[in-house]
Amino acid sequence: MSLFGTNTGFGSGGTGVFGNTTTDSHNPMKDVEVTSPPDDSISCLAFSPPTMPGNFLIGGSWANDVRCWEVQDNGQTVPKAQQMHTGPVLDVCWSDDGSKVFTASCDKTAKMWDLNSNQTIQIAQHEGPIRTIHWIKAPNYSCVMTGSWDKTLKFWDTRSPNPMMSLQMPERCYCADVVYPMAVVATAERGLIVYQLENQPSEFRRIESPLKHQHRCVAIFKDKQSKPTGFALGSIEGRVAIHYINPPNPAKDNFTFKCHRSNGTNTATPQDIYAVNAISFHPVHGTLATVGSDGRFSFWDKDARTKLKTSEQLDQPITACCFNNNGNIFAYASSYDWSKGHEYYNPQKKNYIFLRNAAEELKPRNKKW
Amino acid sequence: MTVCNFFLQGRCRYGDKCWNEHPRGGRGGDFRGNQQPSRGGYGNRVWINPSQRSGGDYVQQSSFSRDGNNDWSRGGGGGGGGGTPRDVKSSDFSFSSQNRFSALTSHTPSEKDAQSSTDDVDTIQKDMEVWQTSGQWPFSCYSVLPGKLSGFVEVSPEELRLEYYSGRASGDLQAYMSSVQQLADQWRSRVQELRSMSSSTRISVISELNNPSLQTSTPGSGFGSTASGFGATSSSSSSSSTGFGAAGFGQGSQSSSTFSFAPSKTGFGAASSTQHASGVVSGVLAQPSSGFGCAPAASASSFSFSEPQASSVSVSVSSFSFRPSPGESSASAVLQSGSSGVFGADTALFSTHTDLTAEELKEFTSKRFTLGQIPLKPPPADLLVL
Repeated sequence: MSLFGTNTGFGSGGTGVFGNTTTDSHNPMKDVEVTSPPDDSISCLAFSPPTMPGNFLIGGSWANDVRCWEVQDNGQTVPKAQQMHTGPVLDVCWSDDGSKVFTASCDKTAKMWDLNSNQTIQIAQHEGPIRTIHWIKAPNYSCVMTGSWDKTLKFWDTRSPNPMMSLQMPERCYCADVVYPMAVVATAERGLIVYQLENQPSEFRRIESPLKHQHRCVAIFKDKQSKPTGFALGSIEGRVAIHYINPPNPAKDNFTFKCHRSNGTNTATPQDIYAVNAISFHPVHGTLATVGSDGRFSFWDKDARTKLKTSEQLDQPITACCFNNNGNIFAYASSYDWSKGHEYYNPQKKNYIFLRNAAEELKPRNKKW
Repeated sequence: MTVCNFFLQGRCRYGDKCWNEHPRGGRGGDFRGNQQPSRGGYGNRVWINPSQRSGGDYVQQSSFSRDGNNDWSRGGGGGGGGGTPRDVKSSDFSFSSQNRFSALTSHTPSEKDAQSSTDDVDTIQKDMEVWQTSGQWPFSCYSVLPGKLSGFVEVSPEELRLEYYSGRASGDLQAYMSSVQQLADQWRSRVQELRSMSSSTRISVISELNNPSLQTSTPGSGFGSTASGFGATSSSSSSSSTGFGAAGFGQGSQSSSTFSFAPSKTGFGAASSTQHASGVVSGVLAQPSSGFGCAPAASASSFSFSEPQASSVSVSVSSFSFRPSPGESSASAVLQSGSSGVFGADTALFSTHTDLTAEELKEFTSKRFTLGQIPLKPPPADLLVL
């Protein structure tokens, strides 16, 4: 018996979607499809930083590979290179100069990929799968931060096999984000820790989670002076919490909102609630995008507290998303996220990465500052 | 520009289009007052006057709720069970009442009296109902402020998927399947139990919530310290309440690797659903810390239903075997005394033979407790099996 109950399926309903002759809902938004997508679910996406010209997209997947595409201005994508791990890749990130890519995998290692030479070396080792990886660029140091299911957060100078620092966490790391000088890590059992990265990383505060269920994704946002000031935290329960670190009025400034739920127009029929798989903030506008297990993405303005747009429903969950460095491109990946267990896993089903023009749709509503 | 008076009252019909100034501070303060007249949503001021809407997008009603905390204490839109409708129909709108927002400012611990405890319990029931019907991810922890409810195992989809992939690679998917099945059953029964909220469940839940010091809601304290992923997870969901139980249970395994889904791990049976009492048990154990001979190991073993030291292979996961070990029996005794002072049973830890009736003695001397006849009094000291 399926554990997950009688949910309304995705798109045209259920697993056997491919093969539909009439409407194929794998790309209802008619966005640009990235060529040569990975063969298994995409776990993470990252665009190149502004320090290098052009747009390069990195995607890690459950097929143990990391792929790199060049995204040209006309929207064409050109596969450039690929590297492998021995286990599924869970997170990727770029160095600040755009020459290196760091990849974290379930094989308990993290690798540094030099794009110019197309070589990789291992730079980190954990006792458990590494779930998050971020590059930290501080005035007096640079390092890679890895968060793992072994409950540790380690900081690596890429030249040394031993970590510069290792911090113990209360539980397994589920998601993290870094915007210097702040880092936020959300762990299992609703743990939430903020670190400050000046001088050296140290724990700044442990926060009581504003959400009731498992944490799934976190993203830091900045204030108008481009200083990190808070974060958005998503859970498996179709809810995102906006939390400021030092708000003038916490009760009013911090709030949560519901998203990625089916349209329960009346209270009689129960809603379907989907997990929020990823959150990304637009680098220019400060508005945010959320993608969920329901196969939709939504854009929100957290200051005006309004929804800007919700997409049509794709036939698969959306597992990852990211914006490019100037905010013109929004990339999102459509693949299975295991939200319904192994019964709904179809290895034959094609996975997609879509690119969308994000310049207009993410403009904030509130023009009065 | 002149400041818009209506906006300050939260009643401006023109929203963004207004010719007057809408100072941002004033807006926040009057958000609450905005609700009834707007009938439309929390954030969309433009929403109010249809003639001023510029684009179709504005019609989308934002489903922002003011403060997550509020949902929890009120339970109105608590689990999100369709509480905030998405469409325009104003008739569907139920702002449960303005009190929803007044609790915002007065959300202090002093609020947590008996009244809000029952609200919490209602919230829990509603949330469970939503959880059952919504198809959301089942392997998640759950909490109602300030405490966290035990009996829920936290597993992320990625961890589960990795287990599947490892099983597939090694050719043994059966272990994965049965583990998932166990987890699922455990979740289902726990949710059902909380939803139906019998009186004993209610008591244990309330005591869990009212004793946040025993919970890991105080961030960082007492999360299961064992590193091994899965087997410890379920124990840590219960041992997290003890804070020290984890140490005993860990059995020295330092492998902080991924889950081992081996069915022999007693982790599942441990947090078996109807043992919600474990939450309270842990409470008991935490308090009289000097009470029991072998404190951590005993408390841990009470969860795992196995020998304290052995990683037992043959424990049947679904069975209910109570071991009459000291920690458990007195704990269950205390639990079922039903008083709100859960710890307030005997001050003496053990009873004498003469204190107990024949049936109780029989229970204590037998290998397993019979459900429904578990003695309320603590066992005599000489019957303790250590």
